[in-house]
Amino acid sequence: MFTEYIVSFNGYYKPQARKRFLTAALHDSGVLSWKIIPRDNLAYDYPSDFDVVKLNDGSHAGIEALESHPIIKRITPHKKLSRSLKFVKDVEQSEVEDRECNETSSNMCPQTFHSSRSHNRKSLSLGATYWHSPARFKGRRLLRAVPKQIVSALQAEILWNMGFTGAGVKVAIFDTGLSENHPHFKKGRIKDRTNWTNEKTLDDGLGHGTFVAGVIASYKDCLGFAPDADIHVYRVFTNNQVSYTSWFLDAFNYAILKKINVLNLSIGGPDFMDHPFVDKVWELTANKVIMISAIGNDGPLYGTLNNPADQMDVIGVGGINFDNQIARFSSRGMTTWELPHGYGRLKPDIVTYGSAVRGSALKGGCRSLSGTSVASPVVAGAVTLLYSAVLDRANIINPASMKQALMASARRLPEVNMFEQGHGKLDLIRAYQTLRTYKPQASLSPGYIDLTECPYMWPYCSQPIYYGAMPVVVNVTVLNGMGVSGVIVNKPRWEPYIPHHGNYIDVAFSYSKTLWPWSGYLAISISVAKSGASYEGIAQGQVTLTVESPPEGEETAPRQTILNLPVKVLIISTPPRSKRVLWDQYHNLRYPPGYFPRDNLRMKNDPLDWNGDHIHTNFKDMYHHLRTAGYFVEVLGSPLTCFDASQYGTLLIVDAEEEYFPEEVTKLKRDIDNGLSVVIFADWYNVTVMKKVKFYDENTRQWWMPDTGGVNIPALNDLLAPLGMAFSDKVYEGDFTLGDHDNCFWMLSAILEYTAYNNLVQLFSNQDKAVISPMELPNRMEGNHLHRYSKVLEGHLGTARSRILPTCPRVIYAPSHPINKSAPTNLFQQQKLLSVRLEESLPLGRQSVEDLIESLETKEKLGYGGVEPHVQGAGPIQDIDSNSVFPVLAFIATGLVLLFLLNQYYRGRSKPRRKRPRLKKFHTILYGTKGPSV
Amino acid sequence: MWRTRYLKRRIVLILLLGGGFIFFLSSKLSKNSKLVPDEYEIKHTLLRQPFEWQPKVSEVQLGEGNSTKKQICRNSVQGKSLIVDERGYVCNRTSVDARGCCHVKRGSRLTSKHRCDTCSKNACCVVYEYCVACCLKPDKRPLLQKILTNAREGLDIALGSVSDHFELCLAKCRTSSSSVQHENSYRNAFAKHCFGENPPELQALVT
Repeated sequence: MFTEYIVSFNGYYKPQARKRFLTAALHDSGVLSWKIIPRDNLAYDYPSDFDVVKLNDGSHAGIEALESHPIIKRITPHKKLSRSLKFVKDVEQSEVEDRECNETSSNMCPQTFHSSRSHNRKSLSLGATYWHSPARFKGRRLLRAVPKQIVSALQAEILWNMGFTGAGVKVAIFDTGLSENHPHFKKGRIKDRTNWTNEKTLDDGLGHGTFVAGVIASYKDCLGFAPDADIHVYRVFTNNQVSYTSWFLDAFNYAILKKINVLNLSIGGPDFMDHPFVDKVWELTANKVIMISAIGNDGPLYGTLNNPADQMDVIGVGGINFDNQIARFSSRGMTTWELPHGYGRLKPDIVTYGSAVRGSALKGGCRSLSGTSVASPVVAGAVTLLYSAVLDRANIINPASMKQALMASARRLPEVNMFEQGHGKLDLIRAYQTLRTYKPQASLSPGYIDLTECPYMWPYCSQPIYYGAMPVVVNVTVLNGMGVSGVIVNKPRWEPYIPHHGNYIDVAFSYSKTLWPWSGYLAISISVAKSGASYEGIAQGQVTLTVESPPEGEETAPRQTILNLPVKVLIISTPPRSKRVLWDQYHNLRYPPGYFPRDNLRMKNDPLDWNGDHIHTNFKDMYHHLRTAGYFVEVLGSPLTCFDASQYGTLLIVDAEEEYFPEEVTKLKRDIDNGLSVVIFADWYNVTVMKKVKFYDENTRQWWMPDTGGVNIPALNDLLAPLGMAFSDKVYEGDFTLGDHDNCFWMLSAILEYTAYNNLVQLFSNQDKAVISPMELPNRMEGNHLHRYSKVLEGHLGTARSRILPTCPRVIYAPSHPINKSAPTNLFQQQKLLSVRLEESLPLGRQSVEDLIESLETKEKLGYGGVEPHVQGAGPIQDIDSNSVFPVLAFIATGLVLLFLLNQYYRGRSKPRRKRPRLKKFHTILYGTKGPSV
Repeated sequence: MWRTRYLKRRIVLILLLGGGFIFFLSSKLSKNSKLVPDEYEIKHTLLRQPFEWQPKVSEVQLGEGNSTKKQICRNSVQGKSLIVDERGYVCNRTSVDARGCCHVKRGSRLTSKHRCDTCSKNACCVVYEYCVACCLKPDKRPLLQKILTNAREGLDIALGSVSDHFELCLAKCRTSSSSVQHENSYRNAFAKHCFGENPPELQALVT
């Protein structure tokens, strides 16, 4: 039913006349309340042929009455068109643009733009001009609602109202320093400032450290989470953005000595094999320091996690924007420590706001900043606040329990997989409730394995399992809040659910001997049992394990937790050989430890190939393409001698840097003779280029020479030698077009079409045969150190020689203990931490942030007996100046006194007959202008 | 007439001089207030920091068992399987009692005092806990006294701000900037915990 109508007249009339007509028409209709909707436009005063009329009741009778009036031509319902509806398309578009650009720093923009669409572009510069062209900004944009205070986005006010403001918690900020008198921090809260760099200052010159400290503990303008926490500032990063491992080692030692509770490190790097550093971080968390670190700004590429945020004992934080989407810059993908034999862990642990967050600027006032550097202190501030809220239970708080509470209370974001969001978005209030009732225990991350759940369990959910496949490995992290050191007692048990066909799955385990510090891993390899070869459908079961830690305090019995890990998989029958593709992971080498240069030599600011080169990390797009095309992709983490070639159609060797065992070469030749296809994607290799891309590494203070090129062509040539093929070392650059295809995935499809089904694409068979003149094959670079990092070579008296071929890993499946249990329908719901008592309710009354600022400020004043002269109401700029103004004022005053005395002295000596009015004299002194002469 | 001009010149000069002086002083002093007192302060606090050589937990008190006075041992907290308490006993995590001390009477083979099991002559040890235990040995005091003085005079805050023998040993045995070569590898990956004056022996990287 419409209550607004457009009433059209059969001529043009003035408003008063129209009103008279309508009154007359509706007079006898019984419609009591109606009105003409005023139209506020310039046309109002001119005669019009329509009015918008609102009928409040009896509209049916009203319409009839109006229609019967001779002057009224037509009545149409007035559809109110919502502007927002029209806007939607525009909004979406601008949102996409936003996502591409706004979240990343502006100089990142063009780069990421190319990388995501490179196959559509011919020239890099064209893309750049397009990006900067004004046309891009023509569209309307809806400004995202950015909250003024990051603390209110996480409802920190609720905890503040309960009287918790971070008091009694020592929070360490490892960053670029902080000035002593920054107006955003309460007097006396900066407990300690130390400098570990080679620059002789404690102050921040960049603004990074100030911002981070502000998000954690500012009490003015842009609020931080824990304004009453004890701030310990560690300056470990110079204004030139340099830091060394050795500085960190000493600074971390000092943090242990000072018994720091919470530590924020908004700094990270790819080198997880920096053993002194990694060991030190373990030592730090083992001493109960809760460490929070930024996961990295290298997204949206996968496999880009930064250390130390990728460590199990550290809380690794990713970034989202205020629309609850993963920020483009946020690093993601599994950890790559475990490659090639295993599979990466789930990281980041949680995500929180990291895009356009407001925080303290270098000289007072506020500014916006984006990056996981921002998300990390948001969590660190929240953790500090939480810590102070449960200070009465301080003995249960440790790096593991805090992490467990954050993860268990986090809110999962829809449509985002676990390697992007971890356990979801930080929920401060729920974390408080969890922690309030927390009982020391162990827990698992992820807390269940549902290989069918999409998109959360991507990439597992993207490919069902089948008999004969390489086992699917899930790397579960065990967090142990019961003690810094613990063990998994006995062995984990595999308990298939009888009603759910659990017996069709075989499961094997490998796990940490000791869970230290606070954590360990439990890797679960899942395969289809022989009995399940012909089964198609869901199979379920559970893994049960017991974690134990020594007793603490007055306890006599060891602490124990029994954990259940539900497992759910989808089994299909084994696909035909031609559809099965094997990805060779074993022959990928990368940084760390060695210098393996990137394939793209233009990326000079990031020359190291460090993304793991896994089909689920930086080759994710390729995986997606292969799956969409119907191929089944498996990963080989062992030498080429360790797979049954009769099962696979194609072996993919992509971007391989490793050498090959002689046994592999002969075996592969045999496999090819028996019908296996091998597709090799090689990259550049040229000794001259390799010598040119050496660089000086700031951290290790050494020259770094690459150990191979983009790939190891001489090694590949050894592999191909029995086939009479070889690659040359010519390096080309640019794009190429084959037919009218410039999409590299088209070519992958075309090649696989041939290897799998023996269909040669027309385009290939049409090509003219080129005859290549015989040329010299490339040799390995003299003096390379590949053997240091190789699994195949070893150094022997200055030369490299092949190691002994390792035995192929044999998966030993755990005995199954079938149980007659029905699985819950939704595995996700099940996950909860055990608690001591029921959840507390929180006071609902919420003060506004402004009130809180006021109350915080008054508290501060009272603490100093009102002596502190506080410039209330003054803008931030005046506020900063107040500190430096005093000495200047004092000097001006002394200067004036000095001048006055000099003046007196001079007057005493001068002749008394020169008399002038005082004022004039002052005038002369001050302005030096000529006074009227006597 | 010429006197007024003379006066004006003088006054202008005095003004300039005064202004310059004030500027000079303010800039000089503001610089001073930023840098020099920092270092001075650190040195001052470090050198004034009290230090206690006598152990805080006496054996006798502990020996009395369930005395009303509840003594709590400090210990090394962090160990994977071993713990060293402030008396210098190293024991398994499982034999740490409620007070945080190593349970001596349990007769475990591992429980031992001031043992330098994994330490070599240059005072570098393989296991952190044994390094601390060995460092707590009373005869190491002259060496440690020297290290402490050096640390405090050299403004080494991480080592200089300890307040007793146990804290000093805990801090000294940790790996630090002097334990690494090329920043990202240990000088000696095997024996890296040292309580002596010298850094670990430099070990060539694997070639």
